[in-house]
Order: sequence, then C-alpha cells, then structure tokens
Amino acid sequence: MFAISNASGGYSESPVIRKVALTVEKNEVVAILGRNGTGKTTLMKYIMAMLPVSAGTVSLDGKTLPEKTAGRVKAGIGYVPQGRFVFPRMTVVENIAVAAVACKQNAKETIESLFSDFPLLSQRAKQLAGSLSGGQQQILAMARALATKPRLLLLDEPSEGIQPSIVDEIAEMLLSLNQRQNMTILLAEQNLDFSLDISSRAYIMDGGTIVQSATKQELMSDKKLLQRLLGV
Amino acid sequence: MSSVAILLIATLGLAVIFGLMGVINLAHGEFITFGAYAALLASGWGLPFPLAVGFATVSMALYGVLVERLIIRHLYNRIFDTLLATWGLSLVMYQAVVLTFGSVTPGIGMSPANLSVGDYSVSWYILFLILVAVFLILLTGLILTRTNYGMMARAAIQDSTMASAVGIESGRINTMTFALGSGLAGFAGAILLPAFPATPSMGFAFSIKAFLLVVVGGPVTLTGIVSSGGALGTIASVVANTWTTVLGDIVFLMATMLLLRIFPKGISENWRIKL
Repeated sequence: MFAISNASGGYSESPVIRKVALTVEKNEVVAILGRNGTGKTTLMKYIMAMLPVSAGTVSLDGKTLPEKTAGRVKAGIGYVPQGRFVFPRMTVVENIAVAAVACKQNAKETIESLFSDFPLLSQRAKQLAGSLSGGQQQILAMARALATKPRLLLLDEPSEGIQPSIVDEIAEMLLSLNQRQNMTILLAEQNLDFSLDISSRAYIMDGGTIVQSATKQELMSDKKLLQRLLGV
Repeated sequence: MSSVAILLIATLGLAVIFGLMGVINLAHGEFITFGAYAALLASGWGLPFPLAVGFATVSMALYGVLVERLIIRHLYNRIFDTLLATWGLSLVMYQAVVLTFGSVTPGIGMSPANLSVGDYSVSWYILFLILVAVFLILLTGLILTRTNYGMMARAAIQDSTMASAVGIESGRINTMTFALGSGLAGFAGAILLPAFPATPSMGFAFSIKAFLLVVVGGPVTLTGIVSSGGALGTIASVVANTWTTVLGDIVFLMATMLLLRIFPKGISENWRIKL
C-alpha cells in the first residue's frame, strides 16, 4: 500500500539516510526502531518532503506522491512530528479545524467526530494549545493529523517526554484507531515496549539505513538481536 | 484618542503583513500614498467619497497581489533581500507619484462641521476616524479568527513547516495576506485624506511611526499594536498638545527605545492570547 524505495536525503550534500526501502501494507502497524541519531526522524521528514536534499521515490496505493509537503498531506499522509508542534496560540478546536479546512474537510463534522474519539480534548476545546501539558499536546497533534483524513498515519516518537500513564493511553488510542477505523500506521520509536505493544513488525535502523526487518515474535524471542541493534 | 486612532489606521496594514508573513514591507508608506491618490483620482471621476475609499482599498489589494506574485514570493525567508526589494519598490512608487501628479497636490477639503466640547472644538471627521479605527481593528480580528483564511494564515506564521504538514498551501495564503495588508494601507491613505492632504511624501511620515509600533507591539500583532499604539500615541500627543509637536515626536521615540530596552522582542512576547 505504502512504499519507499531507494530513499536518500539529508540537510546538506552529505546524506543522513541512505538507500532506505520499506513497505507498509493496508491496516498494518509498522515500527521503525533505532537508537538516537540513526536517522528515524530524518526518514519521517523524508516521507513528508521536508528535507532540502532528497532522492528516491515514495508511493501510496501505487501512485508516486507529490513533491511538496502540503500535496503529500492532501494525498493521504497524516504526520505527527517529534515534539508535537501544535500551533501554540490557537485553541484546541482551531488546531483541528485548520487542518480540516486545509484538506477541504468539513471542520464541524471533523471536530465532532474527533472529540468523541478523544474526550480529553473536548474538555479543553477553547484552551490555547500552548497551555496544554505534553501528553495533551501529543493527543492534540494526533487529532490534528487525523483531521486531514489520512490513509497512512506517521508518528515520530509519540511516547517521547510523556508520562508513563499517558503513554499507555496513547498506545490504546493507536490500537483502537488501527482496529476500529482500519488506520494504517508507521511509527518511529526508541521505546521498545511501546512499539511492541502496538506494532506487528518492525524495521531496525542504524547509520542512516535499514539493517534488519523483523516480526514482533522474532523481536520478542531474540533479545540478543535487540541488545545489539538498539543498545537496550 | 484621535491621534492614536490615526496611528493605528496607518499601521494596521503593515502589522498584518509583518505579523502573518514575517515580511517587512518598507514600501508601506508608499502603499498609503498610492491609496490616497487612488481615492483622489476616483473622486475626480465624480465618485462620492465613500466609493472612492472603496475603490482605493480594492485597487491597492489587487496591486498587493501583483507585488506579492512578482517580487515578495521569490524572496521568502530572505529578510534582507526583501527589505532591499521593498525599499527599491518604495523609491519607484514615490517617483511614480511625483511624475504623475507633481510634487504638491491639494487634498480633498476637510468636512466643515465641527463639534464643540466646552472650550475645545474637534472636527467631526477626526472623531469619525476613531470609530473607523475601532471598526477596522475588530474587522481584522474577525477575519483572522472566524475565516478559514485567517486560521490558516495564523497557523502558517506560528509554524510554517507544520502548517504545510497539515496541508496548508503557504503560497496562496501569503498572497491573500499581502493583498489584505495592501488593501488596509490603501484604505488608510484614502480615509485619512480629508485630514491629511495627499502629497508624494505623505506615506513616509506615517510609515516611521508604523514601523515602531509594530516592533514594540511584538509577536501578538493585533493586541500588540493596539497596546503600543495606545500607549505611545497617548504619551506623544499629550506632550505635543502641552508643548510642541517636535517634542511629542521626541518623546515618542524615547518611549519606544525605553520599551524595547525592557521588552527586546516586543511587549506581547509572553502574552498567551490569540491575536
């Protein structure tokens, strides 16, 4: 359904990611695992066309994606960045509404349905996003990405810097998104437990490229592999 | 009150463009001048004054679209190049006015009706400008909070990368923002015409104070300039009325420097409000 091939790119002439290839099937949850600085975030930005230098192709349902970031979002890629980056001086409602209208969705209906999925946000509807806690902002960033009606949801380290109880909540939300709404999900993570909770298989990154692909069972049974690749 | 109102009317267009695009339009003063001459031209054709103001606003908004497409668009994120380009544009616009209309042009006469309050007599038109300023600020606020365009423009200036990552096409939004700012500048030149007769250099006088208000106002543009304009304008006009206008301007500049010393990023740096 979603495929990257021969992806290279970075912020200057010397590439951060090199010759990455991966696929995600419909309704799958796939994780990209790796230590800090192995290129996970850069790969996410590559998929969103946010890198100054890049080569290779990204396709969704067999179609090569447009060259610009906004075009890729409209083609069906939802993006939750590392560090959340909600619009701080806009309310919770506005953060969701702006994403909906940018992608020609009905803002009112989108907000209603997302508020019923994320009741925590509806209690804070009129609050400025900048005044929310980290976990709340993470949930808002997810709702905002969903407001663009994506077919594939990208999440970059959704558990980073968030208190453990909320991490569990986020894992449940993602699972229910996948199971009840058939959302296809690709996430980059270093939190192994969180990733194994929700994903069925994983790619492991090191030195800017994918060094191994493994199913959940393989990862759970082969602790040595994990230690070697992730340093955990 | 009235000098604050006039200041804000003249500043709003600049503030919108700077606040929502991060572009410093050094030709802002000349946009005001163009607006004034556009209104003069239109009333020369026999249009009544309100329609002439409308004509100036719309034609300056369209002119803004043109300038954004031809110049500004190619210089995004290159702040010094943008400064140079808009400064060059201001010189061209100034000379265009001089060549077309000559260096001095009579304005449209001030409405004669005066309102007397005790010993003071205030021209009706100046009072009317206070209403205009209030209306204009409310209208701009509504456009920025209640329309889809306004929401997208605010998202784009708060985080342009993230804005495109939710599907916002910044190019179209920026064209609309520049058109809105230019239209406001055109409106300012036209609506101030009865109080400030049109001359080729009229924009310059407005633009200096407009720039200072925007800088002092800081990142929360709209309430920022209303506060900075309110404070600086009031102080300056009290001094100007008590002593001389020159002293008023000096106090205006000193107060600006003082505020920027205390709030280097503008007074609204830490305000947790929307506009």
